[in-house]
Amino acid sequence: MSEVKVDKTLDVRGEVCPVPDVETRRALKDMKPGEVLEVLIDYPLSKERIPANVQKDGNEVIAIEEIGPSEWRILIRKK
Amino acid sequence: MEVLTGIITGIFFGIVLQRGRLCFNSAIRDLRLFKDNYLWKAVMLAIALEIIGFQFMASVGWIALRPKPFAPIGNILGGLIFGFGMVLAGGCASGVTYRSGEGMTTAWMAAIFYGLFATASKHGFLKPIIKWLQGPAYKVDVSSENSVYIKGKIGPTLATIFHMNPWIPAIIVTALLLWYVFGTKTSERGGKGFNWYTTAILVTFVAMFGYWTSYRFGHRPYGLGITGGWASVYSTFNGGELNWEGAEVLGIIIGALIASLAAKEFKLRMPRKASTYAQVALGGIFMGIGAPLAGGCNIGHFLTGVPHLALGSILASVFFVLGNWTMAYWLYGRR
Repeated sequence: MSEVKVDKTLDVRGEVCPVPDVETRRALKDMKPGEVLEVLIDYPLSKERIPANVQKDGNEVIAIEEIGPSEWRILIRKK
Repeated sequence: MEVLTGIITGIFFGIVLQRGRLCFNSAIRDLRLFKDNYLWKAVMLAIALEIIGFQFMASVGWIALRPKPFAPIGNILGGLIFGFGMVLAGGCASGVTYRSGEGMTTAWMAAIFYGLFATASKHGFLKPIIKWLQGPAYKVDVSSENSVYIKGKIGPTLATIFHMNPWIPAIIVTALLLWYVFGTKTSERGGKGFNWYTTAILVTFVAMFGYWTSYRFGHRPYGLGITGGWASVYSTFNGGELNWEGAEVLGIIIGALIASLAAKEFKLRMPRKASTYAQVALGGIFMGIGAPLAGGCNIGHFLTGVPHLALGSILASVFFVLGNWTMAYWLYGRR
């Protein structure tokens, strides 16, 4: 586990496509630059698409960690 | 052989869909919502390759092409309803089917209602309404020509409209699609799934194998489909026999289950809000009405009918896209 201070956590496990992606984007919009968002997901497609899309908007993906069977934690720093 | 080849086709298709994460709902929606063309490129490349693949198989006599009828009112209305439905359901016809095999409980709910309403629309109490809403369906008689099409009446295609050798529009459209696919920038995506062009090439092989086995053993001159397959699965509860397409649908679920277990991506996924189940059920109902009204779903029309260059399939697919974008904007795009 990365030792990064998390400012906000978004648990979107079990949500239908593309709710995890949309909620991530909305959460980042409301955060201040430099703050860290933790996103908990359980869908492989989201694990691949969320990092690609948030980076496109200039945000930094700090880590993608496996936290369980088909469950991941993505840490994103807002630009 | 009919059921066996259907299941084999379905298993391969399910594996490719799962590893390629190929959901048309995502492919269409991401294009606008996230300005991401990754899956859309997979779909476009698969269509380009299938055009040539189907044309080749029909030219050498392995299959005969049967383009779907051109029913503009049904294609447009059904296309929109299906487009709305896939966004609500969180997956297209193939999407909710393969995700059922991955353990996504919302996909089960969507697939159950989609199958129920597809059966009612094709064979049950909704049939007269669907027929009435569909309006006139146009076909052309090609029995006098020695062509790649089945004998008798078929839906019009670019080739029949312009009275050309079918190879000419096939090569032109394929060239245009390849130019788009390789000539424009593709979104980046990491992960351990298949990349977009691997997915497209494998989908083409499955589609060609499926068309041939469905034609040869299923007494069903057509390629991959989903809607009729779910209706066939449901009909077995009333003593009906499972047809090629029904076996293919079951195969997709098995294939996706195998692929997701092997990749450690299988999980029983449940949303926290129970209302999500109501939303996906409504989406399934829209899809179950929309697909029969449009004359097919994203697989029967988009993935299989468009490569025939059938007018009805092209029109329906345009409205799948417009319906999808409208509902995606309404649900997720605002604010």
